Amino acid sequence: MAKKKNKQLIRPWCWYCEREFEDEKVLMQHQKAKHFKCGMCPRRLNTAGGLAVHIQQVHKLEPDNLPRIENALPGRDGYEVEIFGMQGIPAPDVADYKRRKEIELGLAAGTISQPQPKRAKIENRPIAEDELRRQLEEHKALMGHNQAENSTAPESSSGAVYGAPQTYAAPPAPAAPPVVPPPGMLPPGMPPPGAFPGGPPPFPPFMPGFPPGGPPPGFPLPPGAVPPFPPAGMPPFPPGPPGAPGRPPFPPPPGFVPGGLPPPGFGPPPGVPGASPPRPAAPHFVPAQMHQNQASPPPPSSTPGASQPATPAPPPQQPAKPEPPRPQEPVRQPKLTLPNPSLAQTNPEFKKPTDLKVKDANFSPEERRAIHPKYFYSGVDTSQPSSSHAEEPRGKKRARAEDFL
Amino acid sequence: MSFFSGASSTTVGGTANTSSAAEKDVEVVEPPSDSISSLSFSGQADYLAVGSWDNSVRIYEVNPNGQTQGKAMYQHQGPVLDVCWNKEGTKIFSGGADNAGRMFDVTTGQAAQVAQHDAPVKVAAWVDVPGAGILATGSWDKTIKYWDLRTPNPVATVQLPERCYTFDIQYPLMVVGTAERHIQIFNLSNPNTAYKTMTSPLKWQTRVISCFTGSPANSGFAVGSVEGRVAIQYVEDKDSQSNFSFKCHRRDSSPNSKDQALVYSVNDISFHPVHGTFSTCGSDGTIHFWDKDARTRLKSFDPAPGPIATTAFNRTGNIFAYAVSYDWSKGHSGMTPGAPNKIMLHSCKDDEVRKRQRK
Repeated sequence: MAKKKNKQLIRPWCWYCEREFEDEKVLMQHQKAKHFKCGMCPRRLNTAGGLAVHIQQVHKLEPDNLPRIENALPGRDGYEVEIFGMQGIPAPDVADYKRRKEIELGLAAGTISQPQPKRAKIENRPIAEDELRRQLEEHKALMGHNQAENSTAPESSSGAVYGAPQTYAAPPAPAAPPVVPPPGMLPPGMPPPGAFPGGPPPFPPFMPGFPPGGPPPGFPLPPGAVPPFPPAGMPPFPPGPPGAPGRPPFPPPPGFVPGGLPPPGFGPPPGVPGASPPRPAAPHFVPAQMHQNQASPPPPSSTPGASQPATPAPPPQQPAKPEPPRPQEPVRQPKLTLPNPSLAQTNPEFKKPTDLKVKDANFSPEERRAIHPKYFYSGVDTSQPSSSHAEEPRGKKRARAEDFL
Repeated sequence: MSFFSGASSTTVGGTANTSSAAEKDVEVVEPPSDSISSLSFSGQADYLAVGSWDNSVRIYEVNPNGQTQGKAMYQHQGPVLDVCWNKEGTKIFSGGADNAGRMFDVTTGQAAQVAQHDAPVKVAAWVDVPGAGILATGSWDKTIKYWDLRTPNPVATVQLPERCYTFDIQYPLMVVGTAERHIQIFNLSNPNTAYKTMTSPLKWQTRVISCFTGSPANSGFAVGSVEGRVAIQYVEDKDSQSNFSFKCHRRDSSPNSKDQALVYSVNDISFHPVHGTFSTCGSDGTIHFWDKDARTRLKSFDPAPGPIATTAFNRTGNIFAYAVSYDWSKGHSGMTPGAPNKIMLHSCKDDEVRKRQRK
């Protein structure tokens, strides 16, 4: 795109003699005839490199006493630069030429060269965005801010910086920073991340291992041990022979229950070894599921699941729910909403006719599936464990805010 | 001869590049009653944990002859979206649409909730931090949380630019893929801040990310998108000339045309633990093994009768498990009652998974 604009203002020109041409084809003919013509035979080559090879191989001249390129401006008669039409012209020369052209045509500085900085800007864009996003993160975390503004900011700023034509030669330089983002690139207000190799200890130190066997405090255990095998309706797995020969047994972990247990047979706690196949344990599950108010798979229109979809209200703020004072987005609706609709994605066009099987650019198949009535989990805990559950996220919310303060 | 002995013997060479009917893959007995979302082998023994949309996690033992046996099972309150093991192979973690991460202790048979998000937990992975272990969970609530399993609160929370769709860890490298094609690279020695943020090299929705090595020298990852394409991406810019992407999981719209116009989603990418080659699987029901360095395809499986939802290698790489299971790529209407829903075990032959000599 940038190139096209260029061509309207600047016609193809020859780097060797700075002559302008109607189009690149003519330019190439010119270069063949004027600059890449072998002085010792009628042969015309396509590039300086080709000419050099030709002279060396056909006319057996040493590489260091090749004739200079004919009809070239001083300083541009070497073989180092591989020119093919308009390709391969050193960037500083392009910039220089354009600047002179601008003056010659009486245009404001930058009129022609504009497209060029745009390219540099695009190369540079990821950094700016990246930086900005990081800067925005704490902000968003606290205010649910959207990212809409950040796209404009980098453009204007980088436009100002790279608008100057002198930066033509520079593009490699601005591209460099992403290699190793120096700590200085981090926005103010972010705690400087420790240097990579020798950073501060990542996690607070832990006890090696876990409290043996015990569940971490704070989480309600499902009532009753998990039954070794399946709930009603599923054929129970046969209680397997303990550890087939030749297979690595589980290394006894710190909390491993010692004794004569068959090592790899996990499932049933020792008390119920190899228990009776038609497990009476299965019912244990049912109460657990029930009181968690789960939209259980078989009846897709079970009460909790159905009442939710009925309300078409947008996810935020649902005063109907009495208990959780936490921000309401976690109360899930069987409806997908983009966190920030202004950032909705669209799939790019295909070059040829294509039948893309997954066309949704904004949601994954799993997200779609998870809101289907059969699978939807409302997340509303109206039942007994809800108090503890409601407490947790609130605590976490605060913890998260602290992370960014 | 045992079913999985193929990896150590090379006597079966020559016929490896087509999945011959002679050596059939073995079906896992008593599969979940609904689609399979995730597979994970223990790092210590041939135990396979399977997460399913029927809210359950099942654990199977795989015998050397390929036979399987159900060992244990536990439940989430919503569909299970991911499972993983800890390094010692003593605990299983799972994340589900019930916004919870759960831990199953294989020695006691107890399950307990260990993680909580504001939205379904899409990914769970064990971070093998030296000296301790951490559970990382990624959720559609746009966070990754790290849990030390002793407190109900996360030890750290990372805000992501978008909903977390996938991440993979090869300590200390963690690469996160989110909605809107963001990719964040973390060095887990500093897990709270992204080491690098980028936009996916692929132009369509990110489906899966899988790291090939965590070694800082040439760490990198593979990204799979819904548009039948995989990109190999190195973390450091010095390796950027090695980045590339390729098309896969496509079909011709009619048998006579060569247009490859039907484009399926790449559902999973699994790296071989020993050879560093990898598998891709797609909604088209095919699986391919690839060598990223030689840039060649090592093996194609015969198309399965349904989408391949997820894949996993065991710890030695001689068993390759894949789930033939509906992946919602056609929405609810694609959920046909008789659709296959099974886990298959493939015995990997050495020359299917070993790197090719680069030409």
